[in-house]
Amino acid sequence: MKKCYRYFGSLLNRQERWLNKMAAAGWHLKEAGKLCYTFESCAPGEYEYRVEFAAHMAYKKSKDYRAFLEELGYEVFCKNINLNWSVGKAVWRPWGEGAGQISTSPGSFNKELLLVGRRADARPFELHTAPEDKAEYMGMLARAFLYRAAALIALGILLGMYGRSDWLPEATLAVGRMIGGGLLIALGIWMLWRAYGCGREARLYREEAGTGQ
Amino acid sequence: MRDHARSGALTEVTFFILLSVYEPRHGYAIMQFVEQETHGRLILGAGSLYGALSSLAKKGYIEPQGEDGERRKQYRITQAGRQVVKRELARLKEITQTAETIVGAVRPAAGSRLIGETARSGEMSAGVGPQGWEAEGIG
Repeated sequence: MKKCYRYFGSLLNRQERWLNKMAAAGWHLKEAGKLCYTFESCAPGEYEYRVEFAAHMAYKKSKDYRAFLEELGYEVFCKNINLNWSVGKAVWRPWGEGAGQISTSPGSFNKELLLVGRRADARPFELHTAPEDKAEYMGMLARAFLYRAAALIALGILLGMYGRSDWLPEATLAVGRMIGGGLLIALGIWMLWRAYGCGREARLYREEAGTGQ
Repeated sequence: MRDHARSGALTEVTFFILLSVYEPRHGYAIMQFVEQETHGRLILGAGSLYGALSSLAKKGYIEPQGEDGERRKQYRITQAGRQVVKRELARLKEITQTAETIVGAVRPAAGSRLIGETARSGEMSAGVGPQGWEAEGIG
């Protein structure tokens, strides 16, 4: 048994690489908390992992998807993408599909990612293989990042322009507004860049699907 | 993608999934079917399979068919699904026929030209020639 504390947020690939590194070192996932990962020892390289973004799915559908993956013999863990401990919360995800646009806690909130593990075999472990499906998945990721980017930039502008304080001196507040707003906007631009990357990948897959390889 | 929509052609994955559920199969069995029938050329990822199954079920081409002994959900093709497969089969036959008339008629000439090209490009850079020929062969 081994406990590790990590937070990857929306860095899906980094989280995936880390889980696979742990597996290669002989640790496979037993439990995934908000920040805490619990591992159990296994043979080095016995398991392999994929991190799947599933926040666009309605709660019912994501449960069905999880059951489907488990039926195939995969181990599935739900993982939060944000750090948020609230209960009785509802958020709107404009990029979601159908009922997946509304996420609640308890419910699909804090279960944005699926950590999918399986015992390694000779065949490649990919969840998305068909070009049209890859295009859809990357397109959905691009939309999710795009909305997140828009929200961050808007928040940054609001904070930068209208940040108020009752107790901070005027000069400190001005600096704080600039730094805070700037950080949010920078984060937003970074998200925008990621959205662009995902969108470009989606377009490539769409072309591949269109020409039938 | 647009071409597919216009001609009504199925993607290869969709076609194989529909073929696999002429008898009830669960997810894993469908994956195995596709892999075996294509001799490992097409390997379906779980996410792609799930997406394809959901969309086929939504279109009414397949339907859930109870669970097997190990409580795994099974799928089976519907009448509508069979119609789609028959249409696709007819379309493929037509293509094959056209291709055979043309390729069959001019095979010796085309073959020798291709081999000639392979040899020439092989002289310039080894490895490129055979690959190019293979791609042409498939396409």
